[in-house]
Amino acid sequence: MNGAGFHEVRPQSFVGIEDQDRVPLPTRKGGGPDAPAPKNLDPKPIRDRMLDRMKKVDPKQSERYRQRTGE
Amino acid sequence: MGGAESRGRREFPPGKILCGIETEFGIIRRDVEESDPVVESMELVRSFRETSFGTWAYEEEDPRADARGGRADRLAQDEEEEAFVRSDLKRGFSFRESKSDRILKNGARFYNDHTHPEYSTPECLSIRELVVFDRAGTEILREAIRLRESVLGSPGALGLYRNNTDFHGHSYGCHENYLLPREMSFDEIVRGLTAFLVARIILTGAGKVGQEGEDGLGKSGYQISQRADFMEVRTGVDTMQRRPLVNSRDEPHADRNRYRRLHLIVGDANMSEWQTAMKVGMTRLVLGSLYARPEPVVELEDPVRTIREISRAQNGRVSVRCRNGRTMTADEILSCYRERLDGILTEEDRWIVAEWDQALQDYQADPHRLRDRVDWVAKSELLEWAAQEMSLVPGDPGLQSLDLAYHDIDPQEGLFWPLEEEGRIRRLTRPEEVPFAMSKPPGRGRAPIRAAILARFGERIQEAGWERIVFSGGRAIDLPPCLEADEGEVARLVGRIAAMENPEGLEPIVRALEEKGERNGRS
Repeated sequence: MNGAGFHEVRPQSFVGIEDQDRVPLPTRKGGGPDAPAPKNLDPKPIRDRMLDRMKKVDPKQSERYRQRTGE
Repeated sequence: MGGAESRGRREFPPGKILCGIETEFGIIRRDVEESDPVVESMELVRSFRETSFGTWAYEEEDPRADARGGRADRLAQDEEEEAFVRSDLKRGFSFRESKSDRILKNGARFYNDHTHPEYSTPECLSIRELVVFDRAGTEILREAIRLRESVLGSPGALGLYRNNTDFHGHSYGCHENYLLPREMSFDEIVRGLTAFLVARIILTGAGKVGQEGEDGLGKSGYQISQRADFMEVRTGVDTMQRRPLVNSRDEPHADRNRYRRLHLIVGDANMSEWQTAMKVGMTRLVLGSLYARPEPVVELEDPVRTIREISRAQNGRVSVRCRNGRTMTADEILSCYRERLDGILTEEDRWIVAEWDQALQDYQADPHRLRDRVDWVAKSELLEWAAQEMSLVPGDPGLQSLDLAYHDIDPQEGLFWPLEEEGRIRRLTRPEEVPFAMSKPPGRGRAPIRAAILARFGERIQEAGWERIVFSGGRAIDLPPCLEADEGEVARLVGRIAAMENPEGLEPIVRALEEKGERNGRS
């Protein structure tokens, strides 16, 4: 990395990461007790996709899963 | 600022609290029956060759230094640690080889910590930066997996999980770090923050099937937090055993006369970016307010018992006892902290507060409304649906396996990713910004200065850590946290470092940053 490259390679979209007042985190749409609740898993495409993935999970995986204590 | 106790303190709004998170990942080999976790974690880290530097300054670390005073002779984990070191030595690895430390070009640290690949974000001054650099860590780990599997010649051989438990009583962490003014006493932090840390799990929990710990091992059921079962004491210097709600390790990685680093180990590793943002964002605001007004907002009678009670209660709804005899729920405690916030100056702080308000409203109306932001809610709905579709009954190990799969970082296997892709769970980062954060540091704070020095003088550097850079021949510089310089100023400094002939030129830069910090500290 050099000094010039520090600016040049960075696209506009990335500049906002450092400037919290120019590019805030996204705002929630709607919300509040009267707003519609977020979507659940009802729509068909995601149901099928999730079910495919879940069926691929080895049901014994968590029994075999052993890790050392970390930190 | 207000409150008699805060008189004479320097100005230190939440936006000046440098922060970062360190995440340890669970790791498995899927293609063989038996594997050595030390080797797997080590080789995974080593496979990621994009690195500006490879020798970590371990002398900067002192996990026995205790913020309550003095230094612990031994840690509860020493015996286990020493056994690990002995067994690693038998394998022929030195301590440094086993750690396999990488200081990445984006200012992050990537290494093998106790058989877990660990990614520590660079120090960040904004929550948005933190989330983007944390997401970059996920991509770095995915890239490391691809590289390692190509060496093994076995696609799909490795599985990495961003969670905190193996469901058999072994936990690994997602630690938070906050650089605070030294004049904020550790006792003040413990008294002021503990109830918040206990209550925040209703918004920050990752969810877990089953219970662990002495009072829970083998019990089924779903709980809010992955880590609550492992918390044993209110405060302490240990991290692997006798885990504390507030860790007292006194290792500032900065001038200890001016700063203390709060190292929290109580939090869950989240898949949801919103939760990572809110976990650190809310905590930073509470710390900023406590600095201004140190008197505790709420004090719990038994916070260790309470975090388990909340975690194990249906939707976290349980009345818990405070020291004053009153009973409160977790959302009521969070509301009290919210009302006491001070120093909300930036648009980002206002975003955190607005999300905090909204999330509490949603939780109070119906916790299921949090399914688009909160892992424990999204995962519980997913598991409930899976139980119906796949005819799983409570206690079925398949449910715990699905819990584990939710945390799989593989975009083709993990159960979290389709939910995020389809917009069922909110994503805060933009996909196009993540690749830049994999190789470029944040624009402010110490990380870009350190990254520039390592890039320019790497071949002349003996070792480096968060704060200290040691050059060949023994000369060292300690980088100040650089809280005052804006993005433009940092970019100019980075440019000067890149054009430097020799490292002697760094000293005036470091001195100027220190003087600027001192000047502003007096204001």
